[in-house]
Amino acid sequence: MTAFLGVEAIEKRWPDTTVGPITLDIARGEIVALLGPSGSGKTTMLRLLAGFETPDGGRIVVEGEDVTTTTPARRRFGMVFQHYALFPHLDVGENVAFGLRGQADAAQKAGEALRLVDLAGFERRKVQELSGGQQQRVALARALAPEPRVLLLDEPLSNLDPALRERTRRELRQLIKRVGITTVFVTHEQEEAFDLGDRIAVLSAGRLEQVGAPDELYERPATLFVATFVGRANVFRGPAARALGGDAVVVVRPERLRFADAGLAGVVRERRYTGAAAFYMLEGDGGERFEVLAEPDAADIGDRVFVQAERMIRFTENGR
Amino acid sequence: MTRRTAQIAGAGLALLLAWLVLFPILVVAREAADGTALRAFFRAGEWSALWASVWISLASVALAAAIGVPLAFLFEWFDFPGRKTLGSLVALPVVLPPLVGVIAFLFLYGESGFIARAVQALFGLPEAPWRLQGPAAILLVHAYSMYVYFYLFTRAGLAKLDVSMLEAAQALGAGRWATIRRVVLPLVRPSLVGAAILTFMTSLGSFSAPYVFGGGFRVMTTQIVATKLNGDLPLAMVETLALAVVAVAGLLILRRTEGDDILVALGKGIAPRPRPIRRPGIRALATVAGWGFAVLLLLPHLTLALVSLVPYGAWTTQILPPVLSLENYRRLFSEAERLRPLLNSLWMALVSTGAAVVLALAAGWLIVRRRIALRRAIEGLLALPWALPGTVFAIALAMTFSVHAPPLRWVLVGTAAILPLAYLVRALPLTGRALLAGYRQLDPALEEAAASLGAGRWRTLARVTLPQLRPGLAAGASLAFVAALGDIVASIVLYTYETRPISIEILSSLRLSETGVAAAFGVVLMVVSALVLGIGARR
Repeated sequence: MTAFLGVEAIEKRWPDTTVGPITLDIARGEIVALLGPSGSGKTTMLRLLAGFETPDGGRIVVEGEDVTTTTPARRRFGMVFQHYALFPHLDVGENVAFGLRGQADAAQKAGEALRLVDLAGFERRKVQELSGGQQQRVALARALAPEPRVLLLDEPLSNLDPALRERTRRELRQLIKRVGITTVFVTHEQEEAFDLGDRIAVLSAGRLEQVGAPDELYERPATLFVATFVGRANVFRGPAARALGGDAVVVVRPERLRFADAGLAGVVRERRYTGAAAFYMLEGDGGERFEVLAEPDAADIGDRVFVQAERMIRFTENGR
Repeated sequence: MTRRTAQIAGAGLALLLAWLVLFPILVVAREAADGTALRAFFRAGEWSALWASVWISLASVALAAAIGVPLAFLFEWFDFPGRKTLGSLVALPVVLPPLVGVIAFLFLYGESGFIARAVQALFGLPEAPWRLQGPAAILLVHAYSMYVYFYLFTRAGLAKLDVSMLEAAQALGAGRWATIRRVVLPLVRPSLVGAAILTFMTSLGSFSAPYVFGGGFRVMTTQIVATKLNGDLPLAMVETLALAVVAVAGLLILRRTEGDDILVALGKGIAPRPRPIRRPGIRALATVAGWGFAVLLLLPHLTLALVSLVPYGAWTTQILPPVLSLENYRRLFSEAERLRPLLNSLWMALVSTGAAVVLALAAGWLIVRRRIALRRAIEGLLALPWALPGTVFAIALAMTFSVHAPPLRWVLVGTAAILPLAYLVRALPLTGRALLAGYRQLDPALEEAAASLGAGRWRTLARVTLPQLRPGLAAGASLAFVAALGDIVASIVLYTYETRPISIEILSSLRLSETGVAAAFGVVLMVVSALVLGIGARR
């Protein structure tokens, strides 16, 4: 695959931490999520891509052009900020036309961008008067209006209330796919990364742990970190791992554990009902706690039960 | 206190404040309605003084902005050695009484100041190369002391900026200058307008610079005092009223350009961190500029300190003073007649500040906590003295309190009461604003908690309310104290020999060519002011 956007061994060193070296190839039109806990370096990665940070090593290449030292103003990457950074002294139309300065058809293009995000006719509104969702769409229209090569989104949905997020996520993905723009976005929420991204790059402590499609990350995590950060996971070590038929370290998803007549023993401590199924919190003989997803009537609190693993992910002691 | 007694107390406070700040202005207005005086005012000389006041003020705004705004960007956005120390040093002129700055300028740039002497000696000139006089001299002093408003306001505005605003502009293709022009300046506009208002008002009311450097050039403040001293009272009233009208009109016009404070209207922001300058040439330039500015701006005060060490008559034609001693300070503190102005200023400033604090505390409590009917009226009365130049109030008080007509008018001019009263009027906006802001930020639940824990009204005030209000209270009170201590405009109209304050003593020492003593007084004023403001600014 010849990458449209290539990140080659990019590295940024701070006095106390280091991000990278990270290598990542992104295809034209692909949506890539940078997923990780806070402090993992995902925001630094995005800012390196945007040009707000200068890397201490490595290159960033777009369509064969090295943009590593290109200023943000000349890089032609669109960016949607976490808090949108709409200019409060300009109205919606002026905000969207900001990046179109000097173009004869700026007003028309701004109008088209607003139509794209379903805000046609909002040109003369003040940005302060808009709802959070509308502000987010104005920020998106503003970033897209100058027809950038790459779209960067910093926690695009974190400022919306939860009820709105799921719908916005779908609409955002549809819109990006319709425009066909290559997109990189940052999130700390796994669900958002899965819904929005074609591929997900998982970062931890400044390092790239794994890049892959959602099911690949979930079913075949490369490291113990990815296994536990992406989706729910029970980690078993030592005797418990051996009781399930594994060795050093074993990860089993709650839905891959089932109650049986023999296997790993444990007592049901809590039961959390979700409708179609229930989560059972078990405590093993060695004091380890783990979760089983099963039928709502499979066990009661206080029962002593056995579980078996239908599918397990094996790791060595060091989590690889 | 019941609702009813609070309303009555509020009405009493409103009446007292109206008598103090509004009634004298009304007296001036009535006296000004005098046909002959009005006709006299429409002769040419008066209009030129009024026009001079206006254009000097506008030019002061432009000059102060030209120095203060770039300086603010330099210190807020770029990091270079000494940035923090210099950043607070260059704000220093604002905390010093204007008169101190003026005489310091005189000693440095005046015709017998250091620079003039040096130039004269260097080129062997028969006389001083220039005279520090007229509009240019006034503007120089104004720009030098008032740039600090633009510097502080712009820095505060820049510090509130959201760094993502700047990044958004860059990501949309705007270069550095385009970002400043299209995003930064519009966003800090409220700060700039605030600084412009403050500079304009200060400049319009400025007295000591035109008084000392004006020469034949008159602005309205000096014109009024001259007319008053000539004994043409009706004309002085007309002039006073004209200055008041210009001040209010200027304030209203500038206010309209202010716009909303849009910075707080949207989302959260992280201010941009000062960027270390990487290119060595630029870095050296910024460092030199920063240090150069600081030295240039502090040079007058260093000069003042030096002159204060020169005994009377010891320095004649030399470039540098031949003898240095503490003689002037010894005389200042050992001769009863010289010590008196200092003691006068201290007790009058103390009394007026104390009264202003008490009135502001009462106003804050009645307005914010009891929400009395007259709260807007009281707030307006507290702010009024800020909107009018000091000369206006000095003349108004002199007029009002030289007539015996109880219960509203008493003969206070010539007594020890009139100067503290005049200082009190000037102090009200300072303490009033600080305490109202403090009260509004104070969570009423704290006082309620104290009450529920059994504390009575006075215990709650002493143990909960006042400690919470302390930072604002200290800031407002220290500003009021320093303003009273360094006041010249009310003093020059209202002083008697017995009650003469420091500023008057400085002027008469200068007149007697006792520059050393004048400088020593200036240094004492400077040190006390800095100490008081330093204490007031402590959190």
